[in-house]
Amino acid sequence: MTTIPLPSSGPVRDTIEARPEGDNYLTHTRGLFSWIFTLDHKRIGVMYMWSVLGAFLLGGIFALLVRTELLTPGPTITEDANTYNQWFTLHGAIMVFLVIIPSIPAALGNFILPVMLGAKDVAFPRLNLFSYYLWVAGAILCVASLAMGGFDTGWTFYTPYSTTTTAGGVIPVLTAAFVLGFSSIFTGLNFVVTVHKLRPPGMTWFRMPLFLWALYATAIIQVLATPVLGITLLLLIVERTVNIGIFNPAMGGDPVLYQHFFWFYSHPAVYIMILPAMGIISEIIAVNSHRSIFGYRFIAFSSIAIAMFSFIVWGHHMFTSGQSALLNTLFSAISFSVAIPSAVKVFNWIATLYKGSVSLTTPMWYALAFLFLFTIGGLTGLHLATLSTDVHLHDTYFVVAHFHYVMMGSALIAMIGGLHHWWPKIFGRMYDERLGTIACWIIFIGFNVTFFTQFILGSKGMPRRYYDYQPEFQIYHVISTIGSYTMAFGFVLTAVSLFGSFFTGRKAPANPWGGRSLEWQCTSPPPFDNFAKAPRVGDCYDFSVVHWDEKTGGYWVDESADPEVNPGAGGAKAAL
Amino acid sequence: MSMTSQIISHAASKASALAVLAQSGAQSGAQSAAQSGAAPGPTAPTFWMPTGASTISGGVDHTLDVINWICYFFVALVVGLTVYFVVKYRHRKGERFRTDFPHHNTPLEVTWSIIPTIIVIGIFVVGFRSYLDIYTAPKNAFDIKVTAQKWAWNFQYPNGATSDDLYVPAGRPVRLILRSSDVLHSLYIPDFRVKRDIVPGRYSYAWFQCDYPSGQPGKNPRDPNAKKVEGPEDPAQVYNLHCTEYCGSGHSKMNRYVYVLDEASFSQWMIDQSQWLDKIPEEELFFKAGPKLFARCQQCHSLDGSQGIGPSWQGIVERVKAYPNVGDGKKYGTWEDYVRTSILVPGDYVVPGYGNVMPSFKGQLNDKSVDALIGYMEHLSDFDPKTGKYLKADAAK
Repeated sequence: MTTIPLPSSGPVRDTIEARPEGDNYLTHTRGLFSWIFTLDHKRIGVMYMWSVLGAFLLGGIFALLVRTELLTPGPTITEDANTYNQWFTLHGAIMVFLVIIPSIPAALGNFILPVMLGAKDVAFPRLNLFSYYLWVAGAILCVASLAMGGFDTGWTFYTPYSTTTTAGGVIPVLTAAFVLGFSSIFTGLNFVVTVHKLRPPGMTWFRMPLFLWALYATAIIQVLATPVLGITLLLLIVERTVNIGIFNPAMGGDPVLYQHFFWFYSHPAVYIMILPAMGIISEIIAVNSHRSIFGYRFIAFSSIAIAMFSFIVWGHHMFTSGQSALLNTLFSAISFSVAIPSAVKVFNWIATLYKGSVSLTTPMWYALAFLFLFTIGGLTGLHLATLSTDVHLHDTYFVVAHFHYVMMGSALIAMIGGLHHWWPKIFGRMYDERLGTIACWIIFIGFNVTFFTQFILGSKGMPRRYYDYQPEFQIYHVISTIGSYTMAFGFVLTAVSLFGSFFTGRKAPANPWGGRSLEWQCTSPPPFDNFAKAPRVGDCYDFSVVHWDEKTGGYWVDESADPEVNPGAGGAKAAL
Repeated sequence: MSMTSQIISHAASKASALAVLAQSGAQSGAQSAAQSGAAPGPTAPTFWMPTGASTISGGVDHTLDVINWICYFFVALVVGLTVYFVVKYRHRKGERFRTDFPHHNTPLEVTWSIIPTIIVIGIFVVGFRSYLDIYTAPKNAFDIKVTAQKWAWNFQYPNGATSDDLYVPAGRPVRLILRSSDVLHSLYIPDFRVKRDIVPGRYSYAWFQCDYPSGQPGKNPRDPNAKKVEGPEDPAQVYNLHCTEYCGSGHSKMNRYVYVLDEASFSQWMIDQSQWLDKIPEEELFFKAGPKLFARCQQCHSLDGSQGIGPSWQGIVERVKAYPNVGDGKKYGTWEDYVRTSILVPGDYVVPGYGNVMPSFKGQLNDKSVDALIGYMEHLSDFDPKTGKYLKADAAK
């Protein structure tokens, strides 16, 4: 039997004897500084995770404030429309820049990507730590802007409102988004290089788990699109501070130019959010169906296709802004093209269930919730890509509902699903699956009550970003707010089930769900340098060699039966 | 411009060849109303849509219906298959994993790539055709100039009349020439399915045609003495008009109404509207014109001392008289000077604690209007601060 050496540079270290019982990346070194200055991708991933979850809590509180204010037309909990405007602006800015964009790549991706590759770390560990501290700096600036007068521009910072508003926190928050952009670029750069250079021998491009394909496609968008946002925000800061007219028509600038610049980044950014989510779903569905993913190549290529299309559809945010009819027509036509690879992915996931062996674990429930929510989020994109209906629906609650189905119902639900999928791997503890599943259902129901109602609100003509509204809309707003409270309750339950695992959870086996990719081959939690013995690369979606082990309460992989690991085993596998 | 329209019409003729799905709806909505002359009335609200009252609303709603049914079908398909597979292939602990599954199936995968492609091309064509109706205003359209500002609308008619609500003739295309005097705004009339962003420094157009007269001919249905805008006497008779591009604290207050009058009433209304101020004698100005003009100020200023975007008008005369200069020490002559300057050049005197956000009303309010507002302020104690009613109305008669 040949052993494939560890792919990272340096000599192969087989440290199995040197490693005492219970030694893992969490316990390998101790003390605060061992975390603050860590170069370990796993610890950086964990720090990212807690930070992002903290930001999610903050953004969630603002969302609840917004929903509560909308319980009645006119004042409900604040007399001041400006306060309300700051709430929804903060909710949007925090959720987009601090939570959803970094959540999957930087938090889960950082942890899982090198382990999945069988590598010891990402290509540039120091850059990785630096990108985390850039995130922290961005988060601090974002919160500091509150103390400096807040900002009421909406998360899109549309000019000339953003360059003329008297709110004092605009420049700090623009700087925050600028800094966060660099954090995102560095993560992307790191992942591109890692995937190119640190794949182990035997793991060709089409042997990579689909999560890696998704992270790779995402990383390319991060590297290519984010600089445009950086430059745009810098120009905005310049305009606001030294009055150089770039976007403000009063100084000879053009506000529509800003919208083009902004969406040239922010539309691809939607795919920075959704592509890694799709990757997670591919993993969860394949692992929990215990069968090879249906149409691997179609899924992999559709990730790349979506990444490419994402760059040429930004104009569909501006159908009513004064773009020429010709441009509108072109952007409408191209926007529809995104629907095709997205539909292909959904069909492939469903086909993966066909003749599978479906285990309804908590992560699987999240994946099924994703399938439903993403289908609705994607299909309502048709209403908005269509020219004549977009004119009616643009800037109404229909758009709000649509992007929440995609960004929260899909990206964030996948993130929570991924968190449940890899939680045993990350912390070495099993959570209460029954509680986790119930929480998933409550979030799912609450989500639909909140946001499906908003589709109706929007198509009936309720504009977004309204502090006050016509009394006939109240019933919908009340239902939507009740849904948001339900969802909040679901998230609290999720937190109880996950945190509970630290106190009452059983020790996690190395492979609790029966996964085949490399991260399930190291212990839970992984050792400091990920693999005690050099991992062997097999077919990451061949589950015929995965067996249940009653003793550990998990699965084990009979690698000797996999002909790709052990060429002599062809007969044994065929016999299964 | 003409080149663009040429390209569009060329594209349209090409598109029509593709338009298998577009056969029926897109134009029929627009044409049926025109052909049958006086249609019975606006379409009733549905589960999804509000009242449809313009000539294009039928086409838009039809497009939306087509897309909705496609969505219902696919959601049912996805949910049905998912539930069926999950139930049927549910795995129980200890069981062997199935191995008889297909890894891929190229013909199937190609099929489910091509079918969505055909469907989205169809939707695009339907949407494109009804969009052309929305985009291109007919040549004989009646022009109304619209100025949006933080946080009010001003509609200006060809004879010079201006109004805060939009009045339009029925049965005739109306073209709105939109401009903004500060930040981005967007004009949205849900019942007409019309929306257009208003970009400062640019003119843009929106157009619609409503064939159903409504409202009270020749008369402002709103009680000019009412403090709070409660809306028209019969809300079913008018259409809402919103701002849909976020523009600051008064964004959600930029709601007005659209009154559709028959051709004759509309002409009469325009004449009355252009002369209403001139017809009021000087001594009656403050209680006849003042409250009506104040309707535009009340988005930001209250009469009863309550907090607003701008300072309340309660006791304003005494306050101004008491301090011959504002916070930054700038002096003003008489209190009338202060008020006049604040209306025409608001940035000159900014009350401490408030932002410099008031737009200028230069060109919108003439001398007589300003006099009316000054008189109104002077006699504020004669008005009920809650309802805005003139308390000495009987005495005046």
